Amino acid sequence: MKKYTIHLTVNGEKHTLEVYPNALLLNVIREDIGLTGTKYACGTGQCGACTVEVNGEPVLGCMTLAVAVDGAEIKTIEGLAQPDGTLDPLQEAFLDTNAVQCGFCTSGMILIGKDLLNKNPSPSESEIRNHIKGNLCRCTGYNGITRAILKCSK
Amino acid sequence: MEMNTRIISHEFEYFAPNSIQETLTLLDQHGSEAKIIAGGTDLVSQMKMGKRTPAYIIDIKRIKELQYIAGDMVLKIGAGNNLRGVMNFFLPASVPYAGLYEAIRSIGKTQVLNMATIGGNLCNGSPKADTAPPLLTYDARIKLVSLKGERILALKDFHSGPNRTIMESNELMTEIQLDKLPKGTSSAFEKKARVGADISKITCAVTVVRDGDVCRSCRIALGAAAPVPMRAFQAESMLTGKIMNDALTEETSQQVAQEINPPTVGRTHPEYRRHLAAVMFKDGFRRAWQQAGGGK
Repeated sequence: MKKYTIHLTVNGEKHTLEVYPNALLLNVIREDIGLTGTKYACGTGQCGACTVEVNGEPVLGCMTLAVAVDGAEIKTIEGLAQPDGTLDPLQEAFLDTNAVQCGFCTSGMILIGKDLLNKNPSPSESEIRNHIKGNLCRCTGYNGITRAILKCSK
Repeated sequence: MEMNTRIISHEFEYFAPNSIQETLTLLDQHGSEAKIIAGGTDLVSQMKMGKRTPAYIIDIKRIKELQYIAGDMVLKIGAGNNLRGVMNFFLPASVPYAGLYEAIRSIGKTQVLNMATIGGNLCNGSPKADTAPPLLTYDARIKLVSLKGERILALKDFHSGPNRTIMESNELMTEIQLDKLPKGTSSAFEKKARVGADISKITCAVTVVRDGDVCRSCRIALGAAAPVPMRAFQAESMLTGKIMNDALTEETSQQVAQEINPPTVGRTHPEYRRHLAAVMFKDGFRRAWQQAGGGK
């Protein structure tokens, strides 16, 4: 199988990679780039654990061919904190409200929550629950997660 | 092939054409061995499970020519628009097309709405495709293009069986066309699924043209109720030109339940689907009727 050269900007850092056409964005981020904050869970587009931002919009990394996003700006959970380590207010809120249990859904939940807050800085509880509908928390910690996003709602 | 949802295990060659013309040439060369990918939310999952193993993948996500929504008397929706774009176009739920807005919204998952396209939702051929029932009630047409020319056909003639369509392997769906709906029209979409943001168990779309207490016409379509997304033509004819009352709505709902052809295998019992079809028609009809009457 022929390899393809792709260019990705991940959390502001440029990467040039050689990938097979059947390589998935999630695996390229985790294994080639080495950022393991983005999680593999269901692998069939049902759970949202693999959520990453591509050109500013959240998508499912496990359902995206890496070649298909050649040239894209990608943001993962690692790109949310400041370079000096200061956490994003939503990350702080997740800690404050005990929104992290086993932690496997957390990076996807924070990115989808961030997406909502970027588009609507003052979402209501029902708007939050609707927006995170595609992200599953196996610990069923939705109340804490909703409270964390609500805490950042202006 | 063994199921493995972490990787796609089969090999293929990848193309990312920049124009419709380039896509058609590739389709002409590789035909039945090729598969078009847009959002990939259905296809990647099918490839992971080994259900589809195309030798060539043609990615049309970058083709700007397929991403437009324009027109007055005929609204033309490029097949490459992502579902979020189509949903936002009809936001706030514009009265005549409220059913389509609700159908896309019911898909729920923000990430999927960003990735999946309206053309892909139809071309995948699933009897459960959420955009199909509302589009059927609008008498939508689709445009299929190949190097040999183009054809425009009614959406109701597009699906030919579960996960099958009449599309030839050298064809590309480029556009969905909707005629402007008459004054007094409204529509609604009802869906039942196991959990939020899930694949449908059964769906029902209703479009009514209302004139006071008279139902000028009513179009009813259902998803996951038969081998293909279907219209309930006999039920529709019971309402044409009638003064509406609860008894007539009830009677029509029983006809809707009779008219569907639910699968006998799978985890949902056919009688349960018939029951749901009747209830969902009533709920959808009531909402569309009220919206068409300005909330009354």
